[in-house]
Amino acid sequence: MKIKRYCHGATPNLKQRFLFWSAFLLIGSGFIISILSFWNTRRLLMADAMTKSEVILREVEAIRSYVKEELRPKMYELQGGDTFVIEAMSTTYISTRIMKRFAESMPNYTYRRASLNPHNPDNMADPFEEEMLDWFEKDPNRLFWQGVIKKNGDSFFISIIPDYFEASCIRCHGKAEDAPKELTDRYGINGGFRFKAGDLAGINSVAIPVSDSLREAWQGSFVLFAVTLGGTLLLLWLLMLLFQRLVIERLGVMLSLVAQKGNESKTITGDELDVLQASLGSLRNYVRSARKGSSLEPNFIGNYIVNKPIAAGAMSWLYKGHTTDTGEMVSLKIGFDETMQNPLYRSCFESELHFFKTLSHPCLPKVKERVDDVLVLEEVCGRNLFHYLGNGGLENRFLLPVFAQLCDMIASFHAVGMVHHDLRPQVLILDTRQQLSLIDMGLASSDQHQDPITAAGLGPQGDLLYLAPEQIQGKRGDSRSDVYGIGLLLYLAVTGHFPFSDTRKSPRNWLRHKRQIESPRTYRPELPEALEQIMLQALSYDIDTRYQWVEDMWDELAALNKRAPEFFSMS
Amino acid sequence: MRLMIFSDIHGNLEALQSVFSDADKRNIHRSICLGDLVGYGPYPNECIELVKKRKNCRCLAGNHDVAALWETSPYGMSKSAQDAILWTMEQLSDTNKKYLQSLPDRIDLFNMTFVHANPYNPRGWRYITDRKYALRSFSATSCQYLFIGHSHKPLVITRKRFFSIDFQKVSGPQKITIKDQRRYIINCGSVGQPRDNNPDACYLVFDILSNRLEYYRVPYDSKKTAQAIRLFKLPPATGRRLLKGT
Repeated sequence: MKIKRYCHGATPNLKQRFLFWSAFLLIGSGFIISILSFWNTRRLLMADAMTKSEVILREVEAIRSYVKEELRPKMYELQGGDTFVIEAMSTTYISTRIMKRFAESMPNYTYRRASLNPHNPDNMADPFEEEMLDWFEKDPNRLFWQGVIKKNGDSFFISIIPDYFEASCIRCHGKAEDAPKELTDRYGINGGFRFKAGDLAGINSVAIPVSDSLREAWQGSFVLFAVTLGGTLLLLWLLMLLFQRLVIERLGVMLSLVAQKGNESKTITGDELDVLQASLGSLRNYVRSARKGSSLEPNFIGNYIVNKPIAAGAMSWLYKGHTTDTGEMVSLKIGFDETMQNPLYRSCFESELHFFKTLSHPCLPKVKERVDDVLVLEEVCGRNLFHYLGNGGLENRFLLPVFAQLCDMIASFHAVGMVHHDLRPQVLILDTRQQLSLIDMGLASSDQHQDPITAAGLGPQGDLLYLAPEQIQGKRGDSRSDVYGIGLLLYLAVTGHFPFSDTRKSPRNWLRHKRQIESPRTYRPELPEALEQIMLQALSYDIDTRYQWVEDMWDELAALNKRAPEFFSMS
Repeated sequence: MRLMIFSDIHGNLEALQSVFSDADKRNIHRSICLGDLVGYGPYPNECIELVKKRKNCRCLAGNHDVAALWETSPYGMSKSAQDAILWTMEQLSDTNKKYLQSLPDRIDLFNMTFVHANPYNPRGWRYITDRKYALRSFSATSCQYLFIGHSHKPLVITRKRFFSIDFQKVSGPQKITIKDQRRYIINCGSVGQPRDNNPDACYLVFDILSNRLEYYRVPYDSKKTAQAIRLFKLPPATGRRLLKGT
């Protein structure tokens, strides 16, 4: 037995995958850190602007309050009730003038007094201020608003408070005929009148520009991201050097150990670790084989000399052998050590021997005799079907001869109440005359005998890659599970590929993959549609929509041969 | 899938050969024999060999097979059957006795069940010919199609509603298409000793894909068999029954 040469055709992409995921994680982290940094800077800027604008606004309020409560009454007292000095008694005028002077030294801070009906036309509300006046007017409990607005392409942080008329304000803002003459002389009688105490007089706002600060925050974040990116690239380069030295090169050496020339080769998808895993699986089989072989070869079992092992089944090895007297070649079915030591598996092995002895079909090697626990069969020649399938599938002209034998054999099993449960290319040997031989029935069951696997309540037995969905779900399966096995073998034989990814998965993932069968025309677009339908129906996930009988599947294949003989005659 | 069902050969080699050669023309995939390979007839070993050799063929145990092995007493049978069984016991080879011993009483195949006489007491050998035993058989199984032999009379029993049973006698070759999901008890008749006043050998083909029962009647040289019965000193009344189909 040779170690399977898995690394042939494998994709060496572990380094690329490591690089991709490392880069993804590091660059992604840098991006997230930059975004968080910008967000934090903006938050601090806003908090600062909020404090500043509120201070200024409260200061203006204090001025207006001082004028209203102290300066104006004093002026009335000194000048008499009929006199109104705008420069010393109008809260709006005084506060506006003071803030205008303030703005001369601090041009970034803008104070506005806005109203829908002002004395001074300069204080007329713009569209944004009109909206804010409406907003405050809707609910008198609203006493403050802050936010960022865009004006002339710049961003401003604005704080706004509303101002309501008191009784002392109505002399100048009530009826125009009652207003001081100085006021009407300066501003006329068109605006600023017809109010009463409690009406919304206007809004006072302070705007602080934040565009430059936000731009600086963006730039800071970008610089941070750029630095992170640079650092990431440097780190990745160093990691790749280390990864190459510590992992890839050593892995390459290990893979080269199993990359020797062998007859059994297989192309598998996946990275180096997948290849190594598959190779180690093969190596384990090889070691078991070698251990068994070394203990048996050369050895004598009765009148027979044991030679090389041919293949491994579910419960046993098949060895080549020959008789000591005539040299006649035979095959010897010998149970695995672990099978013979485990009562449950031993009973499966006994069932297998019983099936070999009682069933008769041209594809089953005939039993010569039983020597203790060893079944002596007639010689089995050829190579297992996996060898042919691994080389791109069977030639079209061999499809029907091979599958006629297979379907006929499985139908004969089902006819006597036996189900194989474990149809795999590894247990089917094809010789140069296209004669098929089945060399293993270790997991088979019969409706006339108690099934040890069912009795023991064991879960799925066999290779999940080849098992029908219901078997993976833990059921024992019935004759329709064998139909699935034949469908899978037909797919492999026709396309040279599995209908789903063959990398090792959990049972749940296997079920998911077995639900999504790749169309065989993906690999061979020239396939007759009817042949594709036959394969898809045999591989149906739902056991009730699959072919219920092997004979039905074979009838359709035979009918297709009559309709499209040219396809099945191609080399 | 075309399934051939036949029963009650009773050592009648001429009838069995005629039935097999007729069935070979009808694209049969599998065959199931519902028992009674031996008894009455003069060729028990030859009939067993022929059934054993038939490809993809499975066989159940019938009351005469079991009696020939002394697993049940033949003395409860009619005088002619009893004499024939005692004669058959002496004729059977050891290999064929082992084969008869290995035969099961019942086979279940998806929605089909196969027994020789009835499913509720397979070795009680009660005939299902009336409503009471038909209902009891329906209760004892959950399958849609129950195939039986034993009575030597082809018959289709349909469970129309819970207690409503319909009996349909099948005379001569006939094709019956099953169009509903009702439950059926189907008697396939007898190859080697028909008792429905038709001496031709009877067998059934169930075409599962098209849900069709196909009853076939095959004429054979019954005189030759009757002659052999006399030659082997078996009860001559058995030979006369073969000629009339009673």
